[in-house]
Amino acid sequence: MLMARRNLGRDRTRLLLNIAGVALAILLILLLTGIREGMFRQITSYLDRTPGSLLVSQGGVENLLSVTSLLPAGATARVQGTRGVESVIPILSQYTILDLHGRKQAAYLIGYVPARGGGPWRLAAGRAPRADDEAVFDRVLAERHDLALGDRVDVMGRTLEVVGLSEGTTSWMTSFFFLRKSAVESLVRLPGATSFLLVTTDEGASVDDVRSRLASLDGVDVHTKGEIAANDRKLFARYFSAPVTLMAAIAALVGALVVGLVIYTATVERQRDFGVLKAIGAPNRSLYLVVVAQSLIASLGGVVAGSVLAIGARAGIMALRPQFLIVLEPADFVLALVVGLGIAMVAGLYPARRIGGLAPAEVFRR
Amino acid sequence: MDPILEMNHVSKVYGEGATEVKAVQDVSLALEPGEVVLVMGPSGSGKTTLLSMLGALLRPSQGEIRIDGTDLTRLSESQLPRLRLQNFGFIFQDFNLLSALTALENVMLVAQLAGARNGDARRRAVEILTDFGLQGRLDFLPEKLSGGEKQRVAIARALINEPAVILADEPTANLDSKIGFEIMRLLRQIAKEQRRSVVVVSHDQRIREIADRVLWLEDGGFKTLAATASDPVCGMAIEKDRAAASLTWEGAEYFFCSRGCRAEFEAGLRSAPLPA
Amino acid sequence: MIRLAWRNLTQNPARLLISLGGVSVALVLMLTLDAIFTGMEQRVTAFIDRSGADIFVSQQDVRNMHMASSSLARGQQARVKSVAGVASVTPILYVTNPILAGKDRSLAYIIGVPSDAKAGGPWEIESGREDPGAGGVVLDVGVAAKAGIGLGGEVEILGDTFEVVGLSHGTASMAGSVAFISLDDFADLWQDSDTVSFLLVETAPGEAPEQVAAGIEARVRDVTAMTRQEFARQERKVVRDMSTDILAIMNIVGFLIGLAVMALTVYTGTLSRRAEYGVLKALGARNGKLAATVVWQAVISVSLGFLIALILTSLLTVAAPLASASLRLVIGLPSVAKVVVTSLVIAGVASLLPIWQMARLDPATVFRRR
Repeated sequence: MLMARRNLGRDRTRLLLNIAGVALAILLILLLTGIREGMFRQITSYLDRTPGSLLVSQGGVENLLSVTSLLPAGATARVQGTRGVESVIPILSQYTILDLHGRKQAAYLIGYVPARGGGPWRLAAGRAPRADDEAVFDRVLAERHDLALGDRVDVMGRTLEVVGLSEGTTSWMTSFFFLRKSAVESLVRLPGATSFLLVTTDEGASVDDVRSRLASLDGVDVHTKGEIAANDRKLFARYFSAPVTLMAAIAALVGALVVGLVIYTATVERQRDFGVLKAIGAPNRSLYLVVVAQSLIASLGGVVAGSVLAIGARAGIMALRPQFLIVLEPADFVLALVVGLGIAMVAGLYPARRIGGLAPAEVFRR
Repeated sequence: MDPILEMNHVSKVYGEGATEVKAVQDVSLALEPGEVVLVMGPSGSGKTTLLSMLGALLRPSQGEIRIDGTDLTRLSESQLPRLRLQNFGFIFQDFNLLSALTALENVMLVAQLAGARNGDARRRAVEILTDFGLQGRLDFLPEKLSGGEKQRVAIARALINEPAVILADEPTANLDSKIGFEIMRLLRQIAKEQRRSVVVVSHDQRIREIADRVLWLEDGGFKTLAATASDPVCGMAIEKDRAAASLTWEGAEYFFCSRGCRAEFEAGLRSAPLPA
Repeated sequence: MIRLAWRNLTQNPARLLISLGGVSVALVLMLTLDAIFTGMEQRVTAFIDRSGADIFVSQQDVRNMHMASSSLARGQQARVKSVAGVASVTPILYVTNPILAGKDRSLAYIIGVPSDAKAGGPWEIESGREDPGAGGVVLDVGVAAKAGIGLGGEVEILGDTFEVVGLSHGTASMAGSVAFISLDDFADLWQDSDTVSFLLVETAPGEAPEQVAAGIEARVRDVTAMTRQEFARQERKVVRDMSTDILAIMNIVGFLIGLAVMALTVYTGTLSRRAEYGVLKALGARNGKLAATVVWQAVISVSLGFLIALILTSLLTVAAPLASASLRLVIGLPSVAKVVVTSLVIAGVASLLPIWQMARLDPATVFRRR
């Protein structure tokens, strides 16, 4: 161990580079997984925060986002009348593209009945809409596009006044904004239409029973909120999770490469020292330990540095681009540690084998 | 004839006060074109420091060094590389050829550093390597060359820019005795035929035969070994004016390392005649 | 010095391989992501480009199809038809929703077209017919293949079952595919026969679409009229604006990875040759020449890495569609230019530390005893 420390310490620059390489890998992995987890949370935020345990949708629809759902006429009344249903929140929702000062911004429009719920769960400023030309926008979206209370926005042919700014309704891809349900009905020219019903069951009633009763109704599908959220996450994962995971894997690989290269060159330059040790009679095992110890020390240093950098980068990115949510939890840092150790093992492997194959006679070469 | 290289009262001091080390003290030297000078001395005597200063690799603490009239000590750092390229050729104990380049490319590179065009550099390099008998080794990497061949490539590299002075640091230390001898004869031939000065730092006694002058550097200062002789009994090289004992016999003067050797010699004289 | 740089690089194949590998991985990342988004950008407008319409009339302020919807009163159709320069008007209904083909659930633009549609229907039929008719659907051939169904197979759309009567080409992208059903069927599913989504206008020969579009907006209330090119441009903008943030992140990631590998290999490469560089300095090489050698080594490395990345990405553009019909990669010139510049920046930055270290190298060390 001592020799490992001295071996590495002899070239401080190299040690720093080593740590930097691992730190970079750890930083990237933490940030990428943090962004992905943050996206998942943002996607399911509406379902997580809106009351109800079941979601009733048009037949064949099993997502909330990325789809357009239209319940058959009279569905709301029928669901309301089903035994075990305590209350029902109807919403009419769809995606729109907002053209805000030259930039296209996707937003998820939710038309709700303020008295029945289904709207923003927390307001940073202002109030809920009281008229059909009033809207509540996501606070972060409003900030990014310089919208304030009282400003007017053109949406689908209607001019809306911003009367409220909501909190927790942000996502880097889309943000939510809320209108009265009647307003949305006239925007899409479907009076009385409803996309989804969020159902709260009676206390004491079995959710499964209520679900099967509702499922027997014509033209609708019933899912738990959890299932819908999972489906939305899956849909997102299909398009974005793969590249993000791929990049995290590549980052880990590169970290291993970096450490491996540094350890390798350090070992090669100290070939004579190792040869001497061998000639004196040191067993291969102890030499392996020296090499592995070197990469361990560097990797652990890199894990710490990378974790600190990730925490800082997270704060920076979220301050500069508040539409991104980056989630870092203790479990992530444990993952980072495991990755760091993995890098150390892999990186030390080839140089260790090289030492193992070293002929002790090396020591007499000039 | 004007000396091509002059050192005047040059000193090199490292450190300060209590830790002060005088590597070279008040050394003066004048080198004529075509002269071969050998610098010998014990380890730590300052030979390397001296060679470094001569080659404009190290600045003296005091004194001046003139090459062809130009005072090295007055030049700025940025002017020195060009000066070295054009006026000095270096030969090293470890050959120091670039391992990734062939013999030909090693020599060409130095020509190109001095501004030669690709074609011209190649032509000159081929010519000089052929002169040294290496025409069959032009495309060999250093790892494939023998010690003697490597040193000859190094010499070719040292000569390619036609420098006035060649500085050699232990050129024969890594060569076996036969090859080493050939290398030294080659250096002497170059010095005489091409009128280039050669300064050699070495421990190798055999080089003394080819040197015009032998300088002994000890504790940072020069001592000229005036003349040397061999002790006939034990074979040691003796400076004539520092011999412990001497003897004149039949008109020839003999020098001995000690009185003991002289006594043995005298005893031998009495018992058998010396070979002619 | 180029020659020396090249020889130094090739003398240590293991190190060269690692640096080339790391750099090309990073550059492939950047090129591939760009290619995916460029391909998506181009594909996302496939319907618009091939629809056969010269002008798209939509609900006022609606300028996109992707992630948007438009609702017009049916009565607007007659009013649009009466505008000068309009040769034909085809109403379509449109929604983006998952469709269930076999066991496969995927997102699709669902287009309801009338049976005599002059525009808005499938543009390249591989087999079957192009008019979906009652109860029929024209499905993308790749989607059908993936679901394991063919003509006569069943597809569930918006809760109802349809029979595959035609298979179409060019109707799939990463964002989804396009499925065509009849306008009447769509209206039934939507419980509304009074609304249409878009009106597709063919202009009379010799008429300039921009002027006719302006005329439509002037004469018909509450609509937006765009030429096909303008509509397509707006759609591409959606993809571009939405992907800029994520692309920026990924590009930075790629850049950092490439830089890390390059910096380290150049550094260790220079370090291991420190003695030789010392010799060169002693012989009279100036710092500039040594720096040039280091920079050339870096430039050669990244150039090779870039070439490898370009070749790999090009292979991917050929292989990807074979793996999945909706995956389409397009390597655009701006992307290549950007990656070239990035590579050179990487080479430059990676050389900085070694150059500085070499400048400080004392040539007198060449005489040091080993």
